[in-house]
Amino acid sequence: MLLLTLVVSMAMAGVAFGEEEIRPPDAVKTDLLELGKKVYFKRCVWCHGVKGAGDGPAAERLFTRPRNFLSGNFKIRTTDSGELPLDESLIRTVKNGLQGSAMPAWGEFLKEDEIVAVVNFVKTLVEDRDFNDAEDEEVTIMEFGTNPWNTTGPYHLGVPQDAIDRGKELFTKNKCFECHGGEGRGDGNPTMKDDWGFPIMAADWQQCWNFRGSRRDPFNPFHVVRTVSTGLNGTPMPNFKDKLTIENRWDLAAFVNSLCPRKKQDKLTSKPVPDFLISSSNTPGTIAEKIDDPMWQSPDHDPRIVERSEEKAGNPRVNYIALAGQITRGKRNFDPKADNLWVTSRWNEEQGIYYLVEFHNRFLSTDPEYPDAVAIQWPAKLQDLFGAEKPYFIFGDSKKPVDIWKASFMAKDYNPAGAPNPAGYQLDVTVEELNGNGFEDVMAKDETTVQVVDSIFHQGRVKVLFKRALTTEGEMDVQIPVEQFIPVSFMQWAGDDKETDENMAISTWYYTILEPAVDQGHILLMAGVMGTVFVGLQGWLVWMTKRTRKMYSDGKVKQDELPF
Amino acid sequence: MNKPLLSFILAVAGWAVFHYGVFPVFTPEEPGWILNRYVYYLVFTAYLIAVNVAMKLQPPMALRGLYVFMMGYYFYDSILYPHVPWTLFITYMMLWAIGTFLYVSQDPVTFREFRAPIVKTIVGEYKMARIVVFTVLPFLVGWATYNSLYPKFAEPVELRTVHPAPPATTKVHGKTYALEEVSNPFRVDEQDNYKDSFPFLDADKSEYMKYVTEGGTVFFENCHYCHGDQLNGLGMFSHVFNPTPANFIDPGTIAMLQESFLFWRVAKGGPGLPNESTPWSSAMPPWEEHLTTDEIWKVILFEYWYTGWHPRTFDEESSVG
Ligand code: HEC
Ligand code: HEC
Ligand code: HEC
Repeated sequence: MLLLTLVVSMAMAGVAFGEEEIRPPDAVKTDLLELGKKVYFKRCVWCHGVKGAGDGPAAERLFTRPRNFLSGNFKIRTTDSGELPLDESLIRTVKNGLQGSAMPAWGEFLKEDEIVAVVNFVKTLVEDRDFNDAEDEEVTIMEFGTNPWNTTGPYHLGVPQDAIDRGKELFTKNKCFECHGGEGRGDGNPTMKDDWGFPIMAADWQQCWNFRGSRRDPFNPFHVVRTVSTGLNGTPMPNFKDKLTIENRWDLAAFVNSLCPRKKQDKLTSKPVPDFLISSSNTPGTIAEKIDDPMWQSPDHDPRIVERSEEKAGNPRVNYIALAGQITRGKRNFDPKADNLWVTSRWNEEQGIYYLVEFHNRFLSTDPEYPDAVAIQWPAKLQDLFGAEKPYFIFGDSKKPVDIWKASFMAKDYNPAGAPNPAGYQLDVTVEELNGNGFEDVMAKDETTVQVVDSIFHQGRVKVLFKRALTTEGEMDVQIPVEQFIPVSFMQWAGDDKETDENMAISTWYYTILEPAVDQGHILLMAGVMGTVFVGLQGWLVWMTKRTRKMYSDGKVKQDELPF
Repeated sequence: MNKPLLSFILAVAGWAVFHYGVFPVFTPEEPGWILNRYVYYLVFTAYLIAVNVAMKLQPPMALRGLYVFMMGYYFYDSILYPHVPWTLFITYMMLWAIGTFLYVSQDPVTFREFRAPIVKTIVGEYKMARIVVFTVLPFLVGWATYNSLYPKFAEPVELRTVHPAPPATTKVHGKTYALEEVSNPFRVDEQDNYKDSFPFLDADKSEYMKYVTEGGTVFFENCHYCHGDQLNGLGMFSHVFNPTPANFIDPGTIAMLQESFLFWRVAKGGPGLPNESTPWSSAMPPWEEHLTTDEIWKVILFEYWYTGWHPRTFDEESSVG
């Protein structure tokens, strides 16, 4: 339905407005204000504040702060930069929310008339400008053209490669990388501020489900076209309407979109569905200990959505692990810097088990006192757990200890404000193994058996390759069995935000399993043998049945005499 | 037309119509007393019996046995909800197979009737049937062998008790509360009188709205990340946690709980749960570590005001059982 309205509105944008339309802004509908005020003060005031200044009780702890409406800056519009939005855009914003921020989608919660009413009420909170001022205010309704490749949702696959390539050239030519970084992870500029004076980060294009204007339809290139056509008012994100033709904008959108991994989206939360089972694939021969080996180069796309090239078809899945700030115990982290991790695993008997852990972090720490870090958490005493039992997910508990493999690191020769470095930065890694019996009782072990065999920080993405033997001597080390579900979870600390100890990002418990070696030939042989045995069985059955019948007819055996 | 064949066609076609046409109608997002999957199943069973009886089809015993077995399969595979794990499914089906066998072998006549078509197939009186069955079966066995030997892993299903029995007493900030006796000290008036009042604006005018405003402030400083700005369990961090944060809009959570139960849950959080409720993976914080007792009561007051639910009272508890 959402898609349909989109397609229709896009078609209208292309057909009806052959030329950009200029007109006064949508006036406030005063008859709706009473209802609007009711809705606002019950639902919105908690974030946006009593006067709409974005200072409700939630504001202090939110990283993208609730919007201050006073100045009349609205990000997601179909009007030109600096202009007021149409009612239609605000209504869509309220219905779909602003993904990647705390602003929720209200479409399923409020009724249509309540949404229209509250939008009109919000317009009255704007102080610096006036939606009713037809003389000084005008809006230019931008033209966006239509999707040239007629791709469809949810994943919008099938955009031709040459459009993507043209888009990449436009990306370089228009210097999007100065803010969005060399590969679009938003790692271009650490010092940006929005018009309200708060720090702001450029969007991470590889996580398009966090685009504010994604309208719960993240892979649709239209949203990128709209963003580069209108800019985002109140932020450093400019418009490119004079630098780019409409065709250019669609090509650029094709490129931006091609970077976003196609993962199934959860309809309720508008985030990718986590991969709750991390299968470690059995790798005969040698497992490469270099991250850039083809063995570790699987695309992030779900292989069921985007088919892999032949040479990568056998690579294990890259699993999506959702992270949130640890806001349960002790010192809480309300504004985590990473919101997910990607994990790939391989193992064999000789070398042990490997986990490649990747995450996006725009800027690393330059303060040795607060290094960045990432960790894998295991139950230390797997053998003592009964059924679904696990240690407490934040550093274990007094009865059930956890074993934590933690890699802390600093990038070498790194300057966050420097230009994108295509070679990436080497990392100085320190590996620690910790035992936790609760978040206030975490101790480093004397001996470590875990290694980090390779690592890199490249264009806003950290990659760390962990390795350990399946079993160790250590009494408080997890002993890793084959073909068994093992609880595992992940933690991440952002150094530039001074995160340490329990002030971190965390995942819930996932499972990992070491897949056994599969002897395909043997399984096929067994299938053949069983089939053949069954043929023999059938022959015997026929013979037996016929013999019995013959005995009946010969009168050797008497058939029971019940009527048939 | 051959009566058994007609019966078979009616059963298969009926199933297709029911499964693809009627089943979705009976499984709305919020099942009711009539519109639920089990009622659907009864209706389908009734249909199957009715056509056979009304049209006097008298399907042979072998076919009846097949119907009985497949109805069991259908129930455990598609109707029963939540879906049982694979191993349990196999166990149920074994029991069901035994049941079906007892049904067909209730006396020698039915048993012989049941056997007759099978024997005829084996000895070759039904020639086509024999050829088909005897070629397909070995392949099926080979395929099943391949499938069961090829290792496949799906994450284990975990069941948890969402609302465990609360303890008799709980100690919060050094004071012991008997949960049967405590009530919310800030519930100073009838909730419904404040349905259309404004937090903040009316906080100076009425004591009740002052508490609601304070409770809402606690909620929007602490709880919305998980339980959502709409109290629907879809906060910006909610997708990360498993079990997912409770949805207070849903009639299955605070609407059917007493405020004292909430007091215990909020104060003690995930770590305060008994083992059957998987305390190790509940992200629900033990709020006694972050909030005062008063703040806990106020946020509970706010949750009821915002959602419009009323807490369950002790009297209802005893009358509903
Ligand atoms: C939990 C906090 C929260 C609540 C509740 C909330 N919002 Fe927001 N809202 C935000 C945040 C945060 C932003 C800013 C996001 C950004 O700038 O990226 C925002 C932005 C907005 C915007 C600006 C859109 C744009 O294009 O720039 C509008 C309009 C808005 N909210 C309306 C509402 C309405 C109406 C309600 C009540 C029905 C509401 N909000 C409730 C947090 C909230
Ligand atoms: C001066 C810095 C800057 C430049 C140059 C820039 N952007 Fe942005 N861009 C931003 C910022 C900052 C944001 C995030 C705004 C926010 O979070 O509200 C952003 C957000 C975005 C978004 C996400 C919009 C959404 O819905 O959240 C897209 C897409 C985007 N930019 C595309 C581009 C493209 C394409 C280019 C180059 C043609 C570009 N940007 C150039 C700063 C910039
Ligand atoms: C870090 C996430 C998180 C935060 C923050 C959080 N909760 Fe929870 N809460 C959960 C989860 C997950 C559950 C469901 C699991 C459980 O029952 O423990 C839950 C369950 C509950 C329940 C039990 C509902 C029921 O049906 O039994 C109540 C009541 C509750 N939360 C209240 C609150 C209040 C009040 C706050 C703020 C003061 C809060 N929660 C903050 C995660 C959170």
